[in-house]
Amino acid sequence: METVLHVKDLTKLYRQRRAEAVVAVDRVSFSVRKNEVVGLLGPNGAGKTTTIKCIAGLIKPTSGEIWLDGVDALRRPTRAMEKVAALLEGNRNIYWRLTVRENLEFFAGLQGYPVGKVKGYIDELIELFDLKEKERTTARKLSRGMQQKLALACALVRQTEVLLLDEPTLGLDVETSYEMRHVLKEMAARGERTILLSSHDMHVVQDICQRVVIINNGRVVVDDRVTSLMKLFQASAYRFEIEGQLSAELELKLKGRFPLLALSATDHRTYIDADLEDDTQLYEVMDILRDGRTQIKSIGHKEPNLEEIFLRIVKGS
Amino acid sequence: MRYLALFKALLKMRYIYLKRYYFDTVSMIVTMFLIFLLIFYGAMALLGGATPADSGDTLEGIVVGFMVWTFALVAYSNLSWGLIEEAQQGTLEQLYMSPLGFGWVTIFRVVANFIINAFMVFIVLLLMMATTGKWLNLDMLSLTPLILLTVAGAYGVGFLMGGLALVFKRVQSALQILQFVLVIFIAAPFGWMPFMKFLPLSLGTRLIGQVMIGELSLFQLPPGDVLFLIGNSAFYFGLGFLIFKLFENVARDRGLLGHY
Repeated sequence: METVLHVKDLTKLYRQRRAEAVVAVDRVSFSVRKNEVVGLLGPNGAGKTTTIKCIAGLIKPTSGEIWLDGVDALRRPTRAMEKVAALLEGNRNIYWRLTVRENLEFFAGLQGYPVGKVKGYIDELIELFDLKEKERTTARKLSRGMQQKLALACALVRQTEVLLLDEPTLGLDVETSYEMRHVLKEMAARGERTILLSSHDMHVVQDICQRVVIINNGRVVVDDRVTSLMKLFQASAYRFEIEGQLSAELELKLKGRFPLLALSATDHRTYIDADLEDDTQLYEVMDILRDGRTQIKSIGHKEPNLEEIFLRIVKGS
Repeated sequence: MRYLALFKALLKMRYIYLKRYYFDTVSMIVTMFLIFLLIFYGAMALLGGATPADSGDTLEGIVVGFMVWTFALVAYSNLSWGLIEEAQQGTLEQLYMSPLGFGWVTIFRVVANFIINAFMVFIVLLLMMATTGKWLNLDMLSLTPLILLTVAGAYGVGFLMGGLALVFKRVQSALQILQFVLVIFIAAPFGWMPFMKFLPLSLGTRLIGQVMIGELSLFQLPPGDVLFLIGNSAFYFGLGFLIFKLFENVARDRGLLGHY
């Protein structure tokens, strides 16, 4: 499938007067294919927002290349803007004094679409985002969740090939976040847009992204399909169920050998969650447990979630 | 067609604000009018005239000067404060992402504001003329290009300040001081200080006065002065816009477009 977004060796340095330059993004490279939904993950300060804003043309990169649907975004920035829309900073991208419909009409106009030409699409978006009852309400009177949905609809009304979503569920309560996730999922399922999404909400990423690019300290550390990552980590993630409690000495011995191992206990059982590099380590754990005279009730593969995988990758890198 | 759609969107937004926040619109007109009354009757007392009619051309000059100042002030503050407001509410980055170019977005915004502001200033002008009894020549064919050219200089200053706001963010104090600097430009007595006509607004105000008070048409004005005004306005507008683009580039380099 054709590549729609291609980022190559993207670097952004922030020069400072009396200190060394801060490296926000360091030779980041990745590609996103047409209609693919890719998650851009990383801890705070990893360079996600800088990467997204460089792609959106809002930050000038120090070096590197950005191609949007065949357009060199750094040489032809205005032409590249035809290809990309962005939702940045949650609910702050809309005009609070305009109504839902007026906002949508304004953003269509900003893209150069006459209102008459996009009326049908605006109606469709209002339906999709369940904003029909509020279409004549000013944005400031909407709930935060609705404002965020409106901001997303305003990005969509620009009808660009690529959509950049920076923290689309930021600051939402559980229920609204779920609702937003549902909308994003539906949008992704329609397969009409190429989406690059950055989020701390791993449920969102796991739910809608086909692939993730994880960056840490400005560099790409993982670029893989979500399913491959899950399989990879599932193969190495084990859960041991032990009868009774572990002695302090045994606990120390296990943690000394496997620092990332997690222990949890109920009244009669102890659970050991371990991410092991290979089968020999599995036997090593069993040897330690045997030497400690513990009774193993069961051993099984643990179902990892993206959040755990993300934490392990970031800690490991 | 696409540019027209952009212009319509910006004009409609300005019109909606004007209508939806009518109290703000009315208070602005009332405040302007009250300031004018203060200046006008203050000047009349200083000149010693018992009625406006006794004080002659000077008071008519005040009406014209105040009208240009209102135009310039609204133009300049709409642009610079407008950019600050967009940065504060987080929409500046969205404007920047228009494929028609941020330059065109800003210029169309300026034109849309000018059209809306022209109505408001016209209301203030009618109020001023009704109060003072000094009905000036409103030859719109001559006045429209002259006002546009004159106010273009103020927009240049607005662009300059808008650019500074993109990078330095808190420039409100400078903005407020500059409001009064505009008065100096307008009231510049270049009869005995000819270099003053190099300032923005000065020559334009004088030429507008010649139409409104002297009842001349645009074609009866000295062609040299009109040409000088065109050059002067193009210079200040162009310079302001260039500096704005320069600061916009700095803001992009430092990643400041979305910050406030």
